[in-house]
Amino acid sequence: MSRSIADIAHDAVWLRRDAEKIGGALPPLLADAERLAATVVMGDHGRKRAGTGETFWQYRRAVPGDVLTQVDWRRSARSDRLYIREMEWEAAQTVSFWADDALAMDYRSPKAPRSKRERAALLTLALSVLLVKAGERVALLGTEAAQPRSGETQLRRMAMSMANLSEDRPDFGAPPPARLTPGGRAVFLSDFMGPRDAVFEGLTQAAESSVSGVFVQIVDDTEESFPFDGRVVFESMGGAVSFETQRAKALREAYQERLAERRAALQDMARRTGWHCLIHRTSESPRKALLWLYGAIGGQV
Amino acid sequence: MLAFGSLAFLTPWLLTALITLPVLWWLLRAIPPAPARRAFPGVRLLLGLTDPERMPERTPWWLLLLRMVALAAAILAFANPVLNPRNTEGGSGPLLVVMDASWASAPAWPERVARVRDALDGAARDGRPTHLHLLTDPVPAEGLSFQDAQTHLRRLQGLAPAAWAPDRAAFATWLDSQDARFDSLWLTDDLTPAPDFVAALQARGSVRIIRTGRPVLALSAPVFEDGAVRASLHRSRADAPLPPLSVDALGLDPNGVERKLGSAEALFEADATSVDVSFDLPLELRNRITRIALPAQRSAGTVALSDDGLKRRKIGLVAGRQAREEQRLVEPLHYLRIALAPSADLIEASITDILNAAPDVVILADVGTVTTEERDRLLDWLDSGGLLLRFAGPRLAQSGDGQLEEDPLLPVRLRAGGRSVGGAMSWGAPKTLRPFAESSPFFGLDVPQDVAVRSQVMAQPDPNLPERVMAALEDGTPLVTGRRQGDGRVVLFHVTANAEWSSLPISGLFVQMLERLAVSTRAAQPEAADLEGETWAPLQVLDGYGTLGEAGLLSGVDGADLISQPVSAIMPPGLYEAGDRRIARNVLGANDTLTPLGPMPATVIEESFDVEEEQVLKPWLLLLALALLAIDILATLWVAGRLTGPRLVSGAAKVSMLALALGLATHADAQEAEDLALLATTETVLAYVQTGDPRVDQISEAGMAGLTLVLNRRTAIEPVAPVAVDIERDEISFFPFLYWPVTELQEIPSDAAYAKLNTYLRSGGMILFDTRDSNLGAFGSGTPNGRMLQRLAAKLDIPPLEPAPEDHVLTRTFYLLQDFPGRYARAPIWVEAAQDLEEVEGMPFRNLNDGVTPVVIGGNDWAAAWAVTAQGQPMFPVGRGAAGGRQRELAYRFGVNLIMHVMTGNYKSDQVHVPALLERLGQ
Repeated sequence: MSRSIADIAHDAVWLRRDAEKIGGALPPLLADAERLAATVVMGDHGRKRAGTGETFWQYRRAVPGDVLTQVDWRRSARSDRLYIREMEWEAAQTVSFWADDALAMDYRSPKAPRSKRERAALLTLALSVLLVKAGERVALLGTEAAQPRSGETQLRRMAMSMANLSEDRPDFGAPPPARLTPGGRAVFLSDFMGPRDAVFEGLTQAAESSVSGVFVQIVDDTEESFPFDGRVVFESMGGAVSFETQRAKALREAYQERLAERRAALQDMARRTGWHCLIHRTSESPRKALLWLYGAIGGQV
Repeated sequence: MLAFGSLAFLTPWLLTALITLPVLWWLLRAIPPAPARRAFPGVRLLLGLTDPERMPERTPWWLLLLRMVALAAAILAFANPVLNPRNTEGGSGPLLVVMDASWASAPAWPERVARVRDALDGAARDGRPTHLHLLTDPVPAEGLSFQDAQTHLRRLQGLAPAAWAPDRAAFATWLDSQDARFDSLWLTDDLTPAPDFVAALQARGSVRIIRTGRPVLALSAPVFEDGAVRASLHRSRADAPLPPLSVDALGLDPNGVERKLGSAEALFEADATSVDVSFDLPLELRNRITRIALPAQRSAGTVALSDDGLKRRKIGLVAGRQAREEQRLVEPLHYLRIALAPSADLIEASITDILNAAPDVVILADVGTVTTEERDRLLDWLDSGGLLLRFAGPRLAQSGDGQLEEDPLLPVRLRAGGRSVGGAMSWGAPKTLRPFAESSPFFGLDVPQDVAVRSQVMAQPDPNLPERVMAALEDGTPLVTGRRQGDGRVVLFHVTANAEWSSLPISGLFVQMLERLAVSTRAAQPEAADLEGETWAPLQVLDGYGTLGEAGLLSGVDGADLISQPVSAIMPPGLYEAGDRRIARNVLGANDTLTPLGPMPATVIEESFDVEEEQVLKPWLLLLALALLAIDILATLWVAGRLTGPRLVSGAAKVSMLALALGLATHADAQEAEDLALLATTETVLAYVQTGDPRVDQISEAGMAGLTLVLNRRTAIEPVAPVAVDIERDEISFFPFLYWPVTELQEIPSDAAYAKLNTYLRSGGMILFDTRDSNLGAFGSGTPNGRMLQRLAAKLDIPPLEPAPEDHVLTRTFYLLQDFPGRYARAPIWVEAAQDLEEVEGMPFRNLNDGVTPVVIGGNDWAAAWAVTAQGQPMFPVGRGAAGGRQRELAYRFGVNLIMHVMTGNYKSDQVHVPALLERLGQ
């Protein structure tokens, strides 16, 4: 089913008006996500292949082995050959999201516009809006919206669950051990700063369950530049892990080396499993990441 | 109180806290600065890293030092340090206060009196009996009697410095005869070492000396040398550099008004104690110099009176015989010229021409007859005070003048012919002189034995001859005779002016006799021997401040003492007169110098005047400690690596905010000035000048408030609440009227303030100067406030003043008044002198040139009479009973008249004509 830009924009406007009408029940995040989603040029995003569906796709010449009932006689009557009427494949896709909501994601350096978690949620929801509007099913792993569904309700549920933070969040997040829909897509948004074993085990598990997808590493600028000096005790956001240094500046090189190492490992695994990898900084525009994600997910679907 | 030199601590026990500093040092060194705690998600990546370099774990030494200094500053601050503490005289028992009270004390007299007042107040509080003695006063006749300090406090106001040096030795001797123990406070003038005196005081108890620490300046008498008037300026100490000082030569101008005739700059060399000043003035001005003075320091020492030594007389010489070149030594005028030329200006011309030049003396040497016209003119000139000196000779002897009847141009009648003794044709030896009689002006001069008289003209033995003889020969024949003629004198030497008849003109006696006759003036300071036996009467004497005053009842002084003795109470510095000669006796003699008091024994407590201001250092030290702590905060942050860009920026922003706040504060000042200007221009405001004395300022304010009340009630002038004006800071041109109470310890305004005041006076403002002391003495008679007023007004552009005349417009601007009372009554007030006085229709009318008198000066303490409390009740009693009430009412009326006068200008004085105008209109 292909929809014009005007239709989608109309929908977005309606959604926003609806959100306002229901008295703020629509989380602000969703409004943000919709505004962001509206900026993405939709274009034709059909499956562009024959399959089961209701929309006409193409006529093709019948070859031996085709079932007779599939022959379109009206078309065949206009020529000497037999044609088979093929419909466009319209089976809905499932895209599973994991937006890390660990305490580490709450980090926001003074100059950054948003915290990492806010950015992850925004990207998740914006992409979901686009996918839902394209008729796909979306799921948010590790929350009550983990069951893949389509429609506004699902979007709202996702937004609510992302806004509704639990009290006892861990310092660092790891992909939840949920079952992914085979053949579906997955988008993992996190800073991947957690303990190496926990993070990579979850990722490997997801990658192995015949699901392709995207890792989005969201980082704060200070996590890359490490602009600290002097005698500092670094603590994880929850305070579970701490590290004292006498002169932070001297550790910059070593830190940046380790960060690069972690990213290399991430990209290495993505390459092996056919996933994609994106590094997104909170100081960058979310639109850029959204376009890339849309291309990466939509292009495959 | 713990004192180190000029620094003292009021709570010294707090200083023990300084001991804790080393402990704190050790503690602070042991504890490194706390690390910063920072939440950072990337911490896991850091785990296991080792620090390649270590930050200093110990606090750096300079940071420690900073903290130590801050702490030390705080401890010192709380120990209440005071710079130049005002020592209070501790101790008990009797207190002797001695003041040098000499001319050298005059420049800082009010401060000295204030210091003594402090000491006496302290003694009164402590109940110590005191004795106050001025060393310039004679030693008390009775014994040492200590009295309640209050009795001496009452005397203080009237004390004045004397013009002579203190007699410390006499007092020390007198002390020796007393039997008492006491502490002493000695306010010295810093001149002349006095170890004996200090020892005498120390023998009785502790001694505290109060010294000025400033050099004393004095001028020596002016002398005429090398064509210029010279004097030298001395100073007591050469250790401190002095700015160039200006020395003025003062004298009367032809109108009899004292003016500055010349001015010279004196700049002391680095180590010199004296500097010469010279005035190069034309003769006319030089003769008029009465004194030279140093305006920078007013005392008897810095005023040097001039006397005959500076005067050069104009002498007309006339000879009866024309000079011939080959006979110079026998020429009649030769010896006179030699004797007089160094000290006088000689005119040789005809008698008429000489008289046209208004000479002081005319000398006629052997002139026989004079024409009638010349005689008449000579007599006129004699009547107006000339001195005619005649010498005899053959022509006079032959002329027969004054032989038959008394000639007004000769002192005595002469006998026909003369006599000659000791010649070839006569008996006897040449006659010598008889010692001078006591009545003679030559009394005291030595008669040299080699003076011999061979010929002379003889006087007729008349009844009045003896009283006219000024000098006689050993046989009694008159040699010099003289008599008064009108205001002048006629003197005749019965011998010639050359060596023909006698050897007198070639002796030294001749010059001295001319000097005594005030024909010539002496070139140098006279020796004591020269004046031996004469009595010199004081004509005018200097007071301690260097002001010339009448001698009053002072008795005469012996001539020898006048020169040799130092000035004292019986012989104060001043102008002394004997006959026609005058000698000025100055504080500093010809060869005197100023010797400083020198160092004191260590056991004597010394105190200085120059640093009276007590400086409390606590706020400054606390400020320093706070500033250091602020620096410490920044430094600690920097050491801990927490002083990053944004913080630095925000810190800078805070600093700039602070600067902005300060800027706003100065802006607030400007705003205040603007408010004042607005108030003064939109309302009528009475203003008073702040003197710095809180009590006086309070009275001024209350006085202005009282006057404001009365003005509002009775007149159309409706002023608002009075305003205090700071002459230095505030703009005064908005105020129509300023009340200026004069206090003794007032700051002299700066030049800028004077410029402002002069503009104010010129542009129609009025200042009422109130010395508030007309109970102490008539205005201008040298009360402390009066002197202060003179100093204040010296630079003010004030027109000639006169006591307010009976018909002054002030007496009739609103009320008709005869007197202008304040708290004190019946003292005159001074206003601008009337410019021209004309009679209009029988009524004296002052045309005051559209002006209000710019100043009104008096001492009636008006503000106190006007002053009301906040409840509207009078603050001070005025007079007694009903008469007092009347006086207060009159004081208010004066205030109303004054403000009316200020506000209406000459309108009210024009009202005088209203009846006349109405009359004319009717016609």
